Amino acid sequence: MAKDYDYIIEFRHLTKRFPGVIANDSINLQIKAGETFALLGENGAGKSTLMSMLFGMYEPDEGEIYLRGKKTKIKSPRHATELSIGMVHQHFKLVENFTITENIVLGIEPKKSMIGIPMVDIKGTDIKISDLSREYGLDVNPTDVIEDVNVSTRQRVEILKMLYREAEILIFDEPTAMLTPQEIEFLLEIIRNLKEAGKTIILISHKLDEIKQVADRCAILRNGKLIDVLDVKETSTQTMANLMVGKDVSLDVAKEDSVKGEVILDVKNLFLKNMFDVKIVKDVSFQVHAGEIFSLSGVSGNGQMEIADAIAGLLPIDSGEIFLKNRKINELSIRERTEQGISYIPEDRQVYGLVLEFSLANNLVLKSYYHEPYSNRHILNDEAIFNHADKLIDNFDIRAGKGKDTIVRSMSGGNQQKAIIAREIDLDSDLLIFVQPTRGLDIGAIQAVHQKIIAERDRGKAILLISLELDEIIALSDRIGVIYNGEIQRIADAKDISREEIGEAMMGVAKNA
Amino acid sequence: MPNKTVKNKNPIFNLLGNPKYQFISIPIFAVIISLILSAIIIFLLGQNPILALKGLMQGAGALPKDNYAAYQGQVTDFMETLDIMTPMLFAALAVSIAMKGGLFNIGVSGQMLISGFVATITIGYAKELNPFISKTLVVIIGIILGSLVGALIGFLKVKFNISEVVSSIMLNYIFQYVISFFIITQYVDPVTRQSRVIGENARLTLMNVEIGPYKMRIPIFFVIAILVAIFMHFYMNRTDQGFEISAIGLNQNAALYAGIKVNHRIIMIMAISGALAGLAGVTFYLGYRASIFPNQLSSIGFDSIAVSLLGNNNPIGIIFSSLLITIIDRGGTYMRSVSGVEQEIAAVISGIILLFSAMSSYMKEVFGARYRKGGK
Repeated sequence: MAKDYDYIIEFRHLTKRFPGVIANDSINLQIKAGETFALLGENGAGKSTLMSMLFGMYEPDEGEIYLRGKKTKIKSPRHATELSIGMVHQHFKLVENFTITENIVLGIEPKKSMIGIPMVDIKGTDIKISDLSREYGLDVNPTDVIEDVNVSTRQRVEILKMLYREAEILIFDEPTAMLTPQEIEFLLEIIRNLKEAGKTIILISHKLDEIKQVADRCAILRNGKLIDVLDVKETSTQTMANLMVGKDVSLDVAKEDSVKGEVILDVKNLFLKNMFDVKIVKDVSFQVHAGEIFSLSGVSGNGQMEIADAIAGLLPIDSGEIFLKNRKINELSIRERTEQGISYIPEDRQVYGLVLEFSLANNLVLKSYYHEPYSNRHILNDEAIFNHADKLIDNFDIRAGKGKDTIVRSMSGGNQQKAIIAREIDLDSDLLIFVQPTRGLDIGAIQAVHQKIIAERDRGKAILLISLELDEIIALSDRIGVIYNGEIQRIADAKDISREEIGEAMMGVAKNA
Repeated sequence: MPNKTVKNKNPIFNLLGNPKYQFISIPIFAVIISLILSAIIIFLLGQNPILALKGLMQGAGALPKDNYAAYQGQVTDFMETLDIMTPMLFAALAVSIAMKGGLFNIGVSGQMLISGFVATITIGYAKELNPFISKTLVVIIGIILGSLVGALIGFLKVKFNISEVVSSIMLNYIFQYVISFFIITQYVDPVTRQSRVIGENARLTLMNVEIGPYKMRIPIFFVIAILVAIFMHFYMNRTDQGFEISAIGLNQNAALYAGIKVNHRIIMIMAISGALAGLAGVTFYLGYRASIFPNQLSSIGFDSIAVSLLGNNNPIGIIFSSLLITIIDRGGTYMRSVSGVEQEIAAVISGIILLFSAMSSYMKEVFGARYRKGGK
């Protein structure tokens, strides 16, 4: 194909406004065909908005998009697909009880005629898709049903969906946010394969090391403005981080040694079953002291999330005992446990942590609305609720277009997380459970969260941290427990265990050590 | 504000799209569009739409008629409208509280029937009781029966995961046929083929009260219904329980996580909804009417769903939407006599209004999108 254009995509003065914010402010950007281009920026910097305009989900308020040298108005995602643009969203859009092939062909089903009756040719497509999968090293089985496959496979199905529609421009929105370290490696390999096959790849991310590994160039956005476009190979991650946040940041967290106090949480011989009656946690015992950060490290799906749910009271205990400040809490309700002193930052902030249609003010009193001063004799006190919201918005730097009245759904992921953390810390509980507290957050926000966690520890709170990010565990923990297949493999002081030893225990190979 | 608001060229879209005013602008728009559409239909039938709509209003006592029979006047017509509006208001409130909690109580008619029936056979036929006591007992029975049925539906949902829609429709059928059986075998009036008329002492509407030159009905429970609506508004928006109900309606998982006893609350929401339906039942079967038709569920229970939607599920909005729908339903007979438009057209008009109100969330979205595109 003769190229009569310099850039496959060109944005000229692209501007998009939302109530109260300018999401993109006159962005000028050129992307070459066949390159892997990263968009780097904090939450709410405008990365997703920019790509949504390219994918036809938003209409720009001002400015133009040039596609393959031609000025193009992209009307809808369907139109974008026709223009060979594909996008993998953060939240996958798949039909749970369809097979992989059925999901991929949905909307453009291949027809065949059987005794004159038009039918969908699934069998023939299975072969085509497994070829496609092999070509790019995607490793999916086309006849598997979506509900039986894991997150990483689902993501690869989304990639196949784009490839099947012959997309040339592939947009990935935070593709590694939900993946384990091994799965991330695998995905990066796939991205390299796609690039070799001549695809143009746009990667929205704030994970610097991934960008360093796969991207050619990267654009840095801050507060809706384009700050710089950099050659990734010639730029250090430190420089990228500084540009992204707009001030010098250190990637490490400074912390003093912990001052260990009494035992706050004592879990003894805990067994848990999931809803299919399968034992997922076996004979787990550990203690968390006041003034320390104890973390459970492990690959996703090894029972660590269930332990958090069981302590908070969301999951019934099969057998074993849980003590909080020497009081057995097995039989207590969720609310009683909160009142006894448990704060819980759950893994899924949108499903559990927040009522997305509620205002920020209401979400900030989600666990305390029923007592003084937020309600007096069952009647809500708006003034107290609003003052409380203003205080937390201030203290925790929660950014929301309309302040306390903002509907939480419209806030960015990072600010939603800040709201949950603000609410839970404000409960002033003795035990704080953080599950994946920085998932999907950018460096600035991660730092803020880490500092909050350490500040709470230094105030003498007991912290149980459950995370899939090994870096986070190593940076924060005073003691580390490693969990594999529902069993604790090892508990050690953070300074007595190396990164490699944790990694081995996470894979279940270090039982004898 | 960093952004300048670019006004949409069309002020109507501006008004309808602004989320600040949509709670009131959309229902009014639905009503106006419906009336225009109804006028067109009447016109196509070869009649005068203005005359027909005027007749509708006159019949319901919202406008004065040209002449009245002895003891009759606009006020007597209007009192009758209020009398039938009372159960409609209770029923729509029953729908709205369930809706707020994310539940769909489609069994209001059945709950009305069982409450009305039990109150009729226990108190309605006890004609020697003191009127004040028997009226009080009727109301108490209505509330208890309705809330028991509602709680049962809620219990089936939380215990066995049976959708409240399915169980309440099933209960509708069960009540309808079982009660018909008892009415026909035990309580039938051979002349009217309905259940025997209840005693005046138990009736929640005072009949033939002479005030000045008029003989009219006094729907004493109308005032109570309005007070209940105001209370429900307060309860749903200003109390901690209302907060919990909204949280459950919007995100059950988050409600559970926040420590709300979701299962208890679901049973409670359905019990409150059922109690309001029970009040609708006694004010209908022992108020507006004094007997029960066998083999028939009252249409109020179903219309109330749309009335609640038209009122945005807001108890204050529901006061107005139920008044409007009642006026249209009631004025049909008179409309026919003055304008020659068939009585069924009244049902068509309220049907169109309810249709448009059922579309209100769609309209909100459409106008909202236009507003956002054209505006900010």
